[in-house]
Amino acid sequence: MTAETDLRPAPDLRPAPDGPGGWFESRTGIRELAAALLHVRIPVEARTMYFGGIALFLFMIQAGTGTLLALYYKPTPDAAYDSVISIMSNISFGWLIRSVHHWAANLMILFVVLHLLRVFFQAAFKRPRELTWLMGVGLLGITMVFGFTGYLLPWDQRAYWATVVGTEIAGSVPIIGEQLLLLLRGGADVTAATLSRFFGIHVLVLPIALAGLLAIHLTLVHQLGLANPKKIDPMPGPPPSSARKFFPDYVLDEVIAWYLIIAILVVLASIFPASVEAKANPLETPPETKPEWYFLAVYEFLKLVPKLIGILLPMVGLAILTIWPFLERSPEVLMRRRKIVVAFATFTLVVGIYLTGVGLGFFTVPEFLHFA
Amino acid sequence: MEQGQGSAADEIREPAGAGEPAGAGEPAGAGDPTAPAPAAPVVAAPVVAAAPAPAPRTSTRRRFVTYLLGFSVVTTLALIAAPIIAFLVPPPELSAGTSGKVLAGTTADIPPGKGKVVAMGSKPTIVVNTEQGVKAYSAICTHLGCIVTYDNQSTSILCPCHGGHFSPTTGAVISGPPPSPLAPVTVIVEGDQIFLVGA
Amino acid sequence: MHASTRHAALRTALIVGSLGLFLAAAAVASAQDPSASPGADASASPAAPSPTVAVEVAPNIPFDLVAPTATPAPLIPGPTAPPPIAHPSNGTTNTCYECHVSVNVQQRTIAEKWQASIHGQNGVGCADCHGGDPTSDRMGIAMDPEKGFIGKPDRLATVGVCGSCHSDPSVMKQYGLPTDQYAKYWTSVHGQQLLAKNDTQVAICIDCHGVHDVKKTTDPSAQVFAPNVPELCASCHADAKKMEPYGIPTNQYDVYKLSVHGKALLEDGDLRAPSCASCHGSHDAKPPTSDTVVNVCGSCHTTTEELYKQSRHAELGAAAPKCWTCHGTHDVTQPSARLFFHPTPPEYTCDTCHDLQNKTLRIELARFKNEQDRRCDSCHHPDSDIYAQVEAIDGALTVAQTAYDGAQAKIDEAAGYGMIVSDADVALSEAKTGIIQAQAAVHTTKLTLVAPPAAEAKKKADEAAAMAQAKLDETVFRRSAMVVVVVILLLNVVALYFVKRRIEHRA
Repeated sequence: MTAETDLRPAPDLRPAPDGPGGWFESRTGIRELAAALLHVRIPVEARTMYFGGIALFLFMIQAGTGTLLALYYKPTPDAAYDSVISIMSNISFGWLIRSVHHWAANLMILFVVLHLLRVFFQAAFKRPRELTWLMGVGLLGITMVFGFTGYLLPWDQRAYWATVVGTEIAGSVPIIGEQLLLLLRGGADVTAATLSRFFGIHVLVLPIALAGLLAIHLTLVHQLGLANPKKIDPMPGPPPSSARKFFPDYVLDEVIAWYLIIAILVVLASIFPASVEAKANPLETPPETKPEWYFLAVYEFLKLVPKLIGILLPMVGLAILTIWPFLERSPEVLMRRRKIVVAFATFTLVVGIYLTGVGLGFFTVPEFLHFA
Repeated sequence: MEQGQGSAADEIREPAGAGEPAGAGEPAGAGDPTAPAPAAPVVAAPVVAAAPAPAPRTSTRRRFVTYLLGFSVVTTLALIAAPIIAFLVPPPELSAGTSGKVLAGTTADIPPGKGKVVAMGSKPTIVVNTEQGVKAYSAICTHLGCIVTYDNQSTSILCPCHGGHFSPTTGAVISGPPPSPLAPVTVIVEGDQIFLVGA
Repeated sequence: MHASTRHAALRTALIVGSLGLFLAAAAVASAQDPSASPGADASASPAAPSPTVAVEVAPNIPFDLVAPTATPAPLIPGPTAPPPIAHPSNGTTNTCYECHVSVNVQQRTIAEKWQASIHGQNGVGCADCHGGDPTSDRMGIAMDPEKGFIGKPDRLATVGVCGSCHSDPSVMKQYGLPTDQYAKYWTSVHGQQLLAKNDTQVAICIDCHGVHDVKKTTDPSAQVFAPNVPELCASCHADAKKMEPYGIPTNQYDVYKLSVHGKALLEDGDLRAPSCASCHGSHDAKPPTSDTVVNVCGSCHTTTEELYKQSRHAELGAAAPKCWTCHGTHDVTQPSARLFFHPTPPEYTCDTCHDLQNKTLRIELARFKNEQDRRCDSCHHPDSDIYAQVEAIDGALTVAQTAYDGAQAKIDEAAGYGMIVSDADVALSEAKTGIIQAQAAVHTTKLTLVAPPAAEAKKKADEAAAMAQAKLDETVFRRSAMVVVVVILLLNVVALYFVKRRIEHRA
């Protein structure tokens, strides 16, 4: 065997590391990986407000509390409702786990949206981060579907009828609507088949999908670093003027934010525990069925405009949002240099908030805005 | 204390990272026998540590912060772990609603031609032993919500409030003000034991 | 470096300030009663009936129902039903209609009404009531008295015309219609007036059922459809001018509309509720008398009648209160504990209870014409044993009701905090059963029959309250625990903040 044909790895001639860490290090070689992951730098101008990290944290909480709930929840129409009641009344801290799961779901959606807004207004999606944005919009979609599928699981009147209304709206999408409705409901009506389907999607399909997209999203964030809100990154090249350490500085800030989120969740779960209404009765429609707050804007919009516009406009809007980095290509990242975009986005945001407020009963729509 | 990079990394043992079931915390001694001892009351509340002047690196201060940090880590872990462990321990007696089958009695308790009201979880149910087998219905009268009884004299289910009579074989209204029949409850008879299946 | 120090100082102040605010807010929020949790469902069972405002009876004619102690005047027997009018017929042609529909507007209206009516739909033609020959298109023959034509019969004869078919079972059998209306009619006040005085003002068949436009009684547009009956009767009986010769009141309809029965029938459309005909009869319309009223009310209120029959009142016949003494006649309202006592005891004289002429015990319904006087102590003096018994009954019911209301309030409070209260709800519905039974048992006038269900109700209500209290205690515990946990978490944050500063200063 010559030096050229000897394919064995070169022997590690470094002295063995000392102490207990050394034992672990020599059996995993983790130090190098950890260094690569953690010892990156962040632009000192970066202002993420930690929204993305909070969304990640909330997902981890959801995975944990969701797993715990799945140990007691029974996904059939006969047993689902009673199993939820049992969790709330019989199981130790069941009320806490379920209430945290409920509130963390709402907060997760809120923070994903806040994270999107932060990225949008800081133009952090511009080159080279277009793919990150793409993954992010996918994550937003998955989060909303999480909310939609999870909502049905308690199988009470609210859950049942909100799902009926929601799938009806999906069924009115042109061309594919009918098939989509059958696919979602597992049949023509909302039945045990729907519950099984939603449970499987909520507990298996979506977590895997989200984990996958998240892995890509986080890898890209790691590879490309955080965006500088003051000026766009030069192409190609390493990230400029990074002066702040990711670890431990940024991580510490992130963890503090996470602690505050835990505190908020504890307060919400204790003062406003998750509730149930009466058990689902397919023969009795409640007087007013409304979706949860995160779908309210689209729901109210549908009421104000002709049906086709109400369905297509949000879909077109979502498509535009997805490919936005390819539409706004200028190198400007400062808000004052993107006035039109910022104005349009602010307008859309204000309309969205207003419509959500209408759905919650805070505002009423004046007559001249009723186009339907 | 070590200086330089990476030193802080060794000190901070936070439970960050994916997959950690992070439920919100509760003091461990929440009346649950399986949870660890309650968290000790906090000694000092330096919340209003206002002045952001650079800290002199005295060893007492450093030690205090280290202890505080250690305390934080331990309490955080305890606050997270305790409810989770308590949650995982099954309750001593699952309510009827989840297990599905509740023993209502035996055919000795409810002989043919007789009936009895039992509690099924939180729902009162009337069990009657008729010629056509053992039947059970919700014991909540469909008129104004009173709890019905079995009337031996008329061998029918009777609501004592306004005299509504229900058929013991079908739950239908025989006479009186109730507008609709009693909701049936599934009965399983095994040997001489009568089980009710919750819905 | 000044800018960054200032920044750092500002950031510190901001973070510490918001932490402090957050802690304060959490503490304050936990101390106060929170607003109802979003989506919290307080599924409480309905409470026992609460008293409604007493209905004022303001008669414009003296209201005086005489309890029939004397033997009632004998009824004039009604005539037997005449045979149906004999007239030619070939079973199909009806020239009357064909001619009259084109005579003038008035006749056409009548003809068309008949055609749409139940008679017109079932082959009962003009000649069956008016006689004549419906096969001839010549007026002289068609309207010939020799062919049976009688023209428009007078009011007394009209009853006979209707009765000629409608009292014949062999004719009515195929339609499943009763045949006792004719005989019953003659026993009614209307029929008797017609027989005795040939009073053409009283109602006859056509006044209620229509003449040419007779409809099924189940047709919602028919005047005799149950919810329309009160207005139909009121069309005469609420008319002061029409009723003046008879000296009977005319406010019954107005009063009935406000009553429990009236609201149920007229507003809720509940066909189980009584109309005028349910208690007075329709064809045999006659107000019930004091010896029959218990059975009349009892035809629907069966349990109450059974309970009443166990009472001391039932043993005393005409001298004792009946249903209407305490509950009214047309102005029946929701009963409640107000029926026991006046706010201050009324005046008692000898003739409150005794007839001064023959010194017998008697009760005059006129004394109870105002709702405020329908009380136990209208007869029973505060010093009497019976009054003490009534007090005991009232006390037992009040105790149960108070326990119930208290338990309901606790359950609502617990539900408002988001707790699941279904087990307490069930216990409370058991309590409600007891209260309703105890209230019904008041009709027995016996404390020994009222006290047990009332005590049972109180026991169940206390159980429900205890369950709800446990849940309330749990919420208090949770919120205290929450404060402790939040404090610990914020301490963690402070610790991390110290570490952060240390790291920053080292860098």
